[in-house]
Amino acid sequence: MTAAEQTQAAPEEARGSTVGELPGRRRIAVGVVGAAFWTWLLARWAYHNAVLDRLVTAIGFSDLIRSEIGVRQREPWLPAEPFEAAADVVGGIVSALGPAGFLVEWAAWLLNLAGFATTIAPELAAGAFVTVYLTILSMLLGLVIAVPLSVARTYGGPILRSLSLAYTELIRGTPLLAQLFFLYFGSDLANDISQIGVVGSGAVPRAAIFVAIIGFTINSSAYQAEYIRSALQSVDPGQMTAARSIGLSKLGGIRHVILPQGLRFAIPGWTNEFVYLIKYSSLAAFITVPELFRQAQDIGSDTFQFTNVYVIVGAFYLALVLTTAMAMGKLESAVAIPGVGKSAGRD
Amino acid sequence: MSLLRVEDVDKSYGDERVLRDVSFEMERQDVEVIVGPSGSGKSTMLRCVNRLTEIDDGAIYLDGEEIHGLDENALRRRVGMVFQDFNLFAHRTARGNVTLGLEEVLGLSKEKARVTADDYLDRVGLADQAESYPAELSGGQQQRVGIARALAMEPELLLFDEPTSALDPELIGEVLEVMRDLAEEGMTMLCVTHEMGFARSAASTLTFLDDGRVVERGPPEQLFDDPENERTSAFLGDLTDVR
Repeated sequence: MTAAEQTQAAPEEARGSTVGELPGRRRIAVGVVGAAFWTWLLARWAYHNAVLDRLVTAIGFSDLIRSEIGVRQREPWLPAEPFEAAADVVGGIVSALGPAGFLVEWAAWLLNLAGFATTIAPELAAGAFVTVYLTILSMLLGLVIAVPLSVARTYGGPILRSLSLAYTELIRGTPLLAQLFFLYFGSDLANDISQIGVVGSGAVPRAAIFVAIIGFTINSSAYQAEYIRSALQSVDPGQMTAARSIGLSKLGGIRHVILPQGLRFAIPGWTNEFVYLIKYSSLAAFITVPELFRQAQDIGSDTFQFTNVYVIVGAFYLALVLTTAMAMGKLESAVAIPGVGKSAGRD
Repeated sequence: MSLLRVEDVDKSYGDERVLRDVSFEMERQDVEVIVGPSGSGKSTMLRCVNRLTEIDDGAIYLDGEEIHGLDENALRRRVGMVFQDFNLFAHRTARGNVTLGLEEVLGLSKEKARVTADDYLDRVGLADQAESYPAELSGGQQQRVGIARALAMEPELLLFDEPTSALDPELIGEVLEVMRDLAEEGMTMLCVTHEMGFARSAASTLTFLDDGRVVERGPPEQLFDDPENERTSAFLGDLTDVR
């Protein structure tokens, strides 16, 4: 059988193996919830964005954007009262039921949780903003380092190979939190960054955020390099032979033949690293970065509702991760090579 | 001056001697076919000519120049290769497979490369498949793209490494036809193949390689009909009987 026939023989409606491949209705449901979450998040960010504020004030709408309101004072868009009132009603039913009250108690808890969620949502949105740009920047900068690292591991000479291996193993072999502490407390990096005039003024974030981006970039580059290395190694060696046989140099073959294929194969692994980083970016909380987890900690200290805060912040992370996975699934199919199956038929 | 001169070439992989004192010469427009049993060193010999494999001893001259004194990329621009497994660039269309070398090695403009590529795809009968990706093509079509890709670099010599061995029987004919056309147009070709029909009708010289040595070499009629060596007659006789 030829490759073309094999591809055609594969069933069109493959079993879903990622969120993006869920059967129709479930995929749409996840998509709608994800879209609603992001619409709200983007609206929230825009509403308190300093740059946008200056822009619309300049054209005469001074009160449209409220960037002057501090994160702690931000008003929710949904009132908490209806949820709390409903929770009280259910609470009444629970007491009326006596010992059987546990049957509806969860509903009262959920309603209370919803009311609490609306109250703290503006602060969590502000934290999510930091989490999102921290993660995206670190992933992209990490990619810039990871590609040469993985190429060095796969095609480099003995020296490049060992240097790349040493970097990868050193970074993967030590805890991320230790790396962040080393950069933030153990080195002068934060101090040096603070010396740069614009840092911490206006819309430019504080030094700690830069340190976090540097730390995550370094850490993530090591993991990304491993995913990309294995993807590069899965490219058929005949591809390089063919590239060399038409007179391309080794670097030319890597650039024009190996990387375009290998990076496509790397997308599932890269997505994995992406969703990991969304979550382990929470470690930036420990070097004072006001990201999502830090906001949750602060709200917890203020309200003592630690359980509720962490359940809600967990839902935020889940929403970020699921939408990322779906978006990456879309990217994977958008760049798929025609005729080549996504997981099978890579021969 | 002969286009290709191979002189006393030795090649070993570890303890295994793959080529022993192999020598032969090709003139321009020659079609040299190398036959021999599996493991006889045919493919290795071919890969030594464009330095995908480096020889241990001996010398190879292309148009009078020792190839180990040449830049390997420059050498490969002059010596094209067609592979058993096609090795088409999987992420590029048929046209993209041909244009890559034109743009990145020969430095043609995108537009010029496209026109040239379409020209060569037309020559192998695939003008209508220029936009198809390798996985969407049949094996025979893929191999013809492979030939177009090598041809477009305008090589002085074209190497064929068992170009039909990975093909379904019904697809072999279309590839051999393209090779026959090339031979008639005067392309200098060095082919390793098991297609005895092609060897007999298209070869100007046939070489029988066994155990890394040139056992017998001469016009195909001589080797097929009146071989001097017993092993040649045994090998070619067996194959001819099967057919």
